[in-house]
Amino acid sequence: MPRTPLPGAASKAMQHSLRYRVEKAGEVIAGFGVYGVVWLDEDLKAVNRFGKLVDFVELGRPVTESLLPLIGLENEILGLKRNPSRLLELPAVAVAAANGNSKKMNFTFLWLAEEQCPVMLAYRSNSQTELEMELSKQIRARLMAEEVVTAKSKELARANADLESYAAIISHDLKEPLRHMRYIADELIAECATRGDEQFGKKLSEIQQLSRRMSHMLSELLDYASLGRKYEGLALTDTRALVESITRSIREKGFEVRIEGNWPTMATLAAPLDLILRNLIENAQKHHGGTTGSIGVSCSDEESALVISVTDDGPGIDPANHQAVFLPFRAIGSSGGTGLGLAMVKKMAESVGGSIKLCSDPAKKRGATLTLHWPKYIVT
Amino acid sequence: MTAKKVMLLGEIGVGKSSLARRLVFDKFEFDYKPTIGVDVYRYDVPDSPGRAQMSLVIWDTDGNFGDAIFRHIYMKEASAALIIGDLSRPSTLETMVKLAEGFGEAFPGRHAGFIVNKTDLVPDADAAPLPAILTRPGTSFMRTSAKTGSNVGRAFIDAADAIARRGQ
Repeated sequence: MPRTPLPGAASKAMQHSLRYRVEKAGEVIAGFGVYGVVWLDEDLKAVNRFGKLVDFVELGRPVTESLLPLIGLENEILGLKRNPSRLLELPAVAVAAANGNSKKMNFTFLWLAEEQCPVMLAYRSNSQTELEMELSKQIRARLMAEEVVTAKSKELARANADLESYAAIISHDLKEPLRHMRYIADELIAECATRGDEQFGKKLSEIQQLSRRMSHMLSELLDYASLGRKYEGLALTDTRALVESITRSIREKGFEVRIEGNWPTMATLAAPLDLILRNLIENAQKHHGGTTGSIGVSCSDEESALVISVTDDGPGIDPANHQAVFLPFRAIGSSGGTGLGLAMVKKMAESVGGSIKLCSDPAKKRGATLTLHWPKYIVT
Repeated sequence: MTAKKVMLLGEIGVGKSSLARRLVFDKFEFDYKPTIGVDVYRYDVPDSPGRAQMSLVIWDTDGNFGDAIFRHIYMKEASAALIIGDLSRPSTLETMVKLAEGFGEAFPGRHAGFIVNKTDLVPDADAAPLPAILTRPGTSFMRTSAKTGSNVGRAFIDAADAIARRGQ
């Protein structure tokens, strides 16, 4: 890198000596905007030797008065006399002027044995270019923003956990009075039977049924709230055996079930996979609308996931309801379900990094296909 | 007038420069400009009956230094440190504790005051959990807002008083 000429009219020998010392300091003086060289006496007052003083240092005044950063460093600077080969560097220092402006400068002190005085080299700090400073600014701004996002995410996770435990408490505590209502209804039904009041007994039975249904919904809500929190570890699972055991009861109900594709044996979270497949297959039968029908269950063993499809030949689901079926308590039709089944399936699948999709358009074709992407590698 | 060197320490973006500029120029700049290296300010502390006239030479350091600042020439002959955190960023409050420990080891007996800045951003300042060391009796601790100017002068005057008391 080309050297900037040293300012002033120092003798050739002095110029040479100073340049040698400066160049020994490496790149510190190289290149950009040299402000000047200041010779100092042993009281650190600026003295007139050679060259031009920088404009912020006044001849005859202690350099510490012009340069606040040097306050406290006096002994360090004068100590260079004992070790003239040493340099004292004060990098990237800006002194705020009265108007708030400042210039960032590097200061280097060295002891000039020929003159028996310290010399201060002041030059513009080029440790960072404008571009680097801008990048640094952006990186810092980003770091700060990331910190805010991390804090917000933690807050959100805490709020979700609170909500889940709230749902768990609510569903658990509400079941207790419902049970009492059923006991009371039992007693009243028995009393009605004794009195021969059949009509009143029927209405009490309806209350009992509704109470059971509500209790069932609360149990499912409890399960839904706790999903993803209590899975056990990975277990070697024969997925074909699993799906066969699930479909056995469906076959017994008169439905034809076809199991197709490649079903591997692999280490996975067996319990949630069982629950999901059970839900999908039983739903296919429950919402079929007929006493017999056909259900196809196929599996494709892909690189990172099993793609499992459950297809039925039931009435299908209107595309307008495709999103709603995955929402809690949004049962479509009149199957008598709680409306939590597919919401639970979706939550379980997503809790392990999987997904579930629905494909159905009754206007074009009967039936519905639910496709589960189940990851092959699950981090527990 | 005696000049005393006071270091401003703290993580990036806690408001060290904003505090210094609010103190010296009574200004607050909304545009964030990181400090590269060090910016030096002078503040003549208002006279007080119990203290000789004092000028604080305030070294506003680059937050990137972390613990390395204690081995840097910038720290030579520091009379005190003001250790600053951001009330809206809890991690910066934890860093304050580490910086205070580092300063205590490097400069035993020197004054270290704590400043929790940006109180204007946290509506209920008392609700934010602070490291225990900050609220321990005898600790010099101040909540400030460089944006509104709240307590800024007080924090530096307290530091000047502490330096005078300790004769540093």
